[in-house]
Amino acid sequence: MLRGKGGGRIRDFTRFERARIIGARALQIAMGAPVILAIPEDLVDPVDIAELEFEKKLIPITVRREV
Amino acid sequence: MARKDTIDALRRRKVGAKTAALLVDAGYTMASLKKAKLKDLEKVVTQEDAIRALKRLGIKVEVPPPKKAPSKKKAPVKKKTPAKKAPKKPAAKKALKKAAKKPAKKAARKKPKVRPTIPSKVPEPSAWEKRVMRILQSKKRELPSSLIQNLAARAQKLKLKKPDLEKVVDYLWDQYGANLVDPNESVGIVSAQSIGEPGTQMTMRTFHYAGVAEMNVTLGLPRLIEIVDARRVPSTPVMEVFVSDGADDLDRMRKHATEIEMTHLEDIADTEADFLNNRVVVYPNVAKMRSRGVTWKDLDHTLSKMRREKVKRVEGDKKRKMEAYVLDLDQVSYKRLQKQLETVKTSKIKGIDGVHRAIIRRRGDEYVIYTEGSNLAAALELPYVDPTRTNSNNITEIYEVLGVEAARNAIVREATSTLAEQGLTVDIRHIMLVSDMMTNAGDVKAIGRHGISGRKSSVLARAAFEITSHHLLKAAVTGEVDYLDGVAENVIVGQPVTLGTGAVNLVYRTSAKEG
Repeated sequence: MLRGKGGGRIRDFTRFERARIIGARALQIAMGAPVILAIPEDLVDPVDIAELEFEKKLIPITVRREV
Repeated sequence: MARKDTIDALRRRKVGAKTAALLVDAGYTMASLKKAKLKDLEKVVTQEDAIRALKRLGIKVEVPPPKKAPSKKKAPVKKKTPAKKAPKKPAAKKALKKAAKKPAKKAARKKPKVRPTIPSKVPEPSAWEKRVMRILQSKKRELPSSLIQNLAARAQKLKLKKPDLEKVVDYLWDQYGANLVDPNESVGIVSAQSIGEPGTQMTMRTFHYAGVAEMNVTLGLPRLIEIVDARRVPSTPVMEVFVSDGADDLDRMRKHATEIEMTHLEDIADTEADFLNNRVVVYPNVAKMRSRGVTWKDLDHTLSKMRREKVKRVEGDKKRKMEAYVLDLDQVSYKRLQKQLETVKTSKIKGIDGVHRAIIRRRGDEYVIYTEGSNLAAALELPYVDPTRTNSNNITEIYEVLGVEAARNAIVREATSTLAEQGLTVDIRHIMLVSDMMTNAGDVKAIGRHGISGRKSSVLARAAFEITSHHLLKAAVTGEVDYLDGVAENVIVGQPVTLGTGAVNLVYRTSAKEG
């Protein structure tokens, strides 16, 4: 179980998983994939967009954990 | 087997052979004996023997006054000794005694149903610790006991009220969670760097000890290397011997120290080879003997063992008459005489093997014996030594005497103190990781070519470390397979390593919004 700051809240992903997911999504966006959410005009960096999508839990990517 | 072992154990504690056999046949084990009441023992052996045996086992016995008013004295004794299962035994014992000898033995082996109380290594939690645990339990949370103990101790000092304590526990919980290591974190490399960096600041060579000025102890980098290399014997083995009682009595401690310190004959006597009469003569120095606590009896004992010659006291020096031990040689040979002189000189009179020096130092409100040279097994056997605190800096010895877990702790302790000595603080978890790696196979392994790095399962990882061609050649000859599980292998092959982001497997998630 992953726990982070703030009320022992359970985090969904480790920082490595987060990085991989955002990275993979940013690559898609950079190569022209449609963006899932409405984004402000000035948000152009694919990584920033991917991060925003990640925060809103919209990215259709998850991880498979092996024990 | 069990019977023999128990008897042996009793004999070692100087309980008479007969008494021991009788007690064991009656179904007593060491554990039950310690709890047993005098009254019960008396049914098996005589009162005298029972009292003596109990005393030898270190149990306080209130000796009932002979005959007059025994009931009055016995009553309080009963209450003090909390032996619950003892009353059941006497009946069984009597039955056994009447029965034939062989079946009785068999029955005795089965009979002792006194469950040995398993000693708990974990101390009972204190009231404050229980309070913290209750709060955690109510929220279905768990924290390591060291954190609970620490928090409880501080909360007790501040006398925290319950709501406040709850807040603190919550905060601790958050911090604990935030500071846990993420899965796939490369802890090994972090540890290596965390120990390595302060290591660069360590003194290359230091030879003295903060506590004991007159003793030489390897410190600093050489010592750290020694620990990590798992040397069999450190360059300066040292023991700290604690005494269980009377540790504040300097005279008694001096006596103990002389008993521990190894004394050779040459330390207390002048030895010379008498070529004229073809003999070795030993002139004991009474003053030296006294300071070392050696008695004539000790001398008689050791020197009689030396060789077949009879030992007689004879006048020695020019004019004065002196007591001396003489060893006549049966052959006339200068070479043998010289050899004999050497053996006589270096014969051990008393003390523990390997302990060259024992120094008494005050530490807090008690004295501690520091020894140069270490022999943990022998030191722990001394009756006055406190085995729970006495320790050595020889990790292999600790492993041999006390086991791997003790060795693991010793590595952690030694490494931490070596670093702390130089004013460097390394988080204990880094050192614990190293220690775990060294000991997890059940024995103490070195880090490096002959230890962990040299025994990796992957050929490529081994080849990447040292003697590359040797490993590759051997692997080729024996047809080894590399499964590319580790980090080094994947770096060589040019794949993402199985750490951090490289260890994450991404998959497509069909339904967004759900975890």
